[in-house]
Amino acid sequence: MEKTTRNLQILNIVTIALMIIATALVFFYAPTERVMGQVQRIFYFHVPSAWVSMLAFFVTLVAGIVYLRRGHRGWDMVGSASVEIGLVFTIMTIISGSIWARPAWNTWWTWDPRLTTYTILALIYVAYLMLRQGLEDPDRRARFAAVYGIVGFISVPITFFSIRWWRTIHPVVIGSGSPSAEGGFDMTSPMRLVFFFSLFAFTVLYFCFLANRLRLERLTERVEQLKMKVLSA
Amino acid sequence: MESTPDTLGYMIAGYVVLFGLPLLYIVSWLVRQRNLEKDIEVIQTIAEDNKK
Repeated sequence: MEKTTRNLQILNIVTIALMIIATALVFFYAPTERVMGQVQRIFYFHVPSAWVSMLAFFVTLVAGIVYLRRGHRGWDMVGSASVEIGLVFTIMTIISGSIWARPAWNTWWTWDPRLTTYTILALIYVAYLMLRQGLEDPDRRARFAAVYGIVGFISVPITFFSIRWWRTIHPVVIGSGSPSAEGGFDMTSPMRLVFFFSLFAFTVLYFCFLANRLRLERLTERVEQLKMKVLSA
Repeated sequence: MESTPDTLGYMIAGYVVLFGLPLLYIVSWLVRQRNLEKDIEVIQTIAEDNKK
């Protein structure tokens, strides 16, 4: 196993520190929201999780474009690793959102435009991983995955703008949303600080996950190469 | 004036998910890494046997 590089170690430590600070800010600095109570604190990690999922799928889009132009295997690894990370954050967002919705909307789930488009987005990227599993030839797999990653990204802006385009009960954090939105609130200065710090910490967490996941991907490739070498000997 | 509702249980459940899932994901990396390292050992053993 290749040694963890010094840069990766530094990134891991910085990320852990940022996450500890973000957690402390959420629980000890952010005020308790008057209407929803303690459950509103989910918002500080729920929205950054959603942001990271969309960032991850954007990175897959970029990696796909670059792979198709240059044909370098490294970009295929970036795309596949990023989808896996994006899906973890998507699931975190969906479940934490559902838990928040129970007291805020009096239901665990509703087929609201945001929830529906986000679920479709999750299924699109689950299908991306299934597509990869189904293709043996590495070049063909990388090419198909790159195209799929580019086309699949269409679901991201649709999901993002769904609460601005259609009548929905999902609140809008920045800007104005549907008048029928429920569970929205005006952020005070401390709330804004905690929110933007969490957003920053989660962005760093994403790049930390990506770097670690790529390390694993390189190890997988090394195993594949060794297998080929033994088989051809 | 309405009093603030007690939603502490929901908050705890939410953060269990928000911390638990990434931790599970990290554990999955460690398991995969261990399996790959085992694979490398096996392949190297086979390669050495082939040389003999």
